[in-house]
Amino acid sequence: MSYKDPIIHIDEQLCTGCRRCAAVCPVDAIIGEPGHPQTIDAHRCVVCGQCVQICTAYAADNESTTASRAVKLQERGQLPNVREPLFAAYSSGDIQKVKAVLADPKRFKVVQCAPAIRVSLAEEFGLPFGTLTPGKMAAALRRLKFDRIYDTNFAADVTIMEEGSELIGRVMSGERLPMFTSCCPAWVKHAETAAPELLEHLSSCKSPMQMGGALFKTYGAELDGIAPSDIFSVAVMPCTCKKFECSREEMSVDGCREVDLVITTRELASLIKDQGIDFIHLPDEPFDSPLGKYSGAGSIFGVTGGVMEAAIRTGYELITHEQIPNLQLDFVRGEEGIRTAEVQIGDLELKVAVVAGLKYVDAVLAKVAEGTCPYHFIEVMACPEGCVSGGGQPKLLLETQRKIAYQARKSAVYRHDSHQKVRKSHENPDIIKLYKDFLGEPLGHTSHHLLHTKFVDRSLKEEMS
Amino acid sequence: MNRFVIADPDKCIGCHTCEVACVVAHAGNNMFVQEESGADFYPRLTVVETDEVTAPVQCRHCEDAPCANVCPNGSITSKDNSIFINQDSCIGCKTCMLVCPYGAITMVPAHKGGQKQLQSGLRSNTSGAWSRKERIVANKCDLCEDSGKGPECVRVCPTNALQFIVPSQIEDSISRKRLASAQSLQQFSGFSRL
Repeated sequence: MSYKDPIIHIDEQLCTGCRRCAAVCPVDAIIGEPGHPQTIDAHRCVVCGQCVQICTAYAADNESTTASRAVKLQERGQLPNVREPLFAAYSSGDIQKVKAVLADPKRFKVVQCAPAIRVSLAEEFGLPFGTLTPGKMAAALRRLKFDRIYDTNFAADVTIMEEGSELIGRVMSGERLPMFTSCCPAWVKHAETAAPELLEHLSSCKSPMQMGGALFKTYGAELDGIAPSDIFSVAVMPCTCKKFECSREEMSVDGCREVDLVITTRELASLIKDQGIDFIHLPDEPFDSPLGKYSGAGSIFGVTGGVMEAAIRTGYELITHEQIPNLQLDFVRGEEGIRTAEVQIGDLELKVAVVAGLKYVDAVLAKVAEGTCPYHFIEVMACPEGCVSGGGQPKLLLETQRKIAYQARKSAVYRHDSHQKVRKSHENPDIIKLYKDFLGEPLGHTSHHLLHTKFVDRSLKEEMS
Repeated sequence: MNRFVIADPDKCIGCHTCEVACVVAHAGNNMFVQEESGADFYPRLTVVETDEVTAPVQCRHCEDAPCANVCPNGSITSKDNSIFINQDSCIGCKTCMLVCPYGAITMVPAHKGGQKQLQSGLRSNTSGAWSRKERIVANKCDLCEDSGKGPECVRVCPTNALQFIVPSQIEDSISRKRLASAQSLQQFSGFSRL
């Protein structure tokens, strides 16, 4: 199955051609004259949704030239209760499909939420920016009739085990360095489009979402005694490109789609409202074991530098067999742009870089192509401050709110990490059990089958031939 | 003299950020979380786009405000160098909307504390059931008087197309023009009487 829908759209009836979307597009995929409706070059577009976040051109209710609100909501795949004005730039919704499946008692419905959802979902219910609600989120999903509330954070812990081991192997052998992270699907799509000759530098790990999906339909299916084909797997993501990622042809395990549908934070909020669930007054409820138990390291994937920090926490201990002296690695934390650091791990001086914002990556790619890139490990996130600022997050209407919201969501992520009993992926008891009972060891045979992937050359020359 | 906001159509790119900012400034961040249906999105300025011109239009806070002069119950008054609509006493007669030469007044459902206000006696029959009708009131630019920070639209415009004009600015500008005018008279000094 491949996703023919380009996912990100600009409604030509509403676009006024102000081109502020073109200014934030990291890959120059938005084309048009000022003052005229813009179009998106689907080949270049990385589906990051930053244009959806910035767009303020909206349908005034009294404009007779535009199709009716109800018709447009239906076309956009949104529920009729959405209260936002209809903005020109939007992402295709899948919430109507999810709602239909949830009403089907014959399906076994599994859900996972990305780390960045629990720090932003509450905004949609009028709570302050950065309100942390993992327990209410789990409770809301249970009331929506999901049979298992699993979590992407658990899968993020798995990713660290796999990616950390892969990094150590590559650093020791000196092969294919630097190694780039591969959890951001917009970055991966950009690498496949703009630098296919450098794809061997990407970690072969699937993203946490896809790893989670693969494990739910194998390990999880075994635990629950359910046939994988009966499981319907939904992922709630802060990201519009995850819709693209889950539809990639290779993202299947033993003939089943790993993740059947992806919905955004905003879509989940609209479904909670549609079902009349009083989110603010929900009790805190736990995630389901074992695929919903996570460490602090898994929960910081939602911010720029988080994958790097989680990887160093685990990598340090795997290499030195000693406790890492300080768990809070401030040198990789920060904002939009490129940050670099050198970390002393035993005898190894690990050189790392964190890229926040896809527009900054081309300079790094040029250095890699030249063979002059000094780093071992590079984290890339397409959105300005990582997933907390993703295209599927609650819409921020003003620039003045943007900085405040990102800061508050980031603080909430770090607060969540610091309150976890377990803060390193390799110490998560359910991860230890997963490897003992099912996967064997990181990079082992089962891991390769389920958790690792290959990338596709999407350059135009490849498509022409 | 009254203060007012005015747009430069050469700078406006039609992005509607000012409208969105206006709604946020008056409704706070909770505008999408009220439990009613329909989008309550009532900006107090309107971006107009034609092939020739793009610019937001809003109340000019006229010195001899026609809207205030026709209001049947004195709901529109002059207050702190601006023209102010008291929505609590407005009866929704629409006369102000008709006489405004700028088209700057719209009629919107009245809200109190995030809830639509309903009328005490007037009922309407929608889809076969009688219910209390919502209160509809006149709405226009109030220069964001409640925020204490001046008009939000001016602050957020990405191209600085909006200006907040205050009386002292006009005075200064006129003084400068008079000075320039006086200086330009020098070149004619000493000309013979005609």
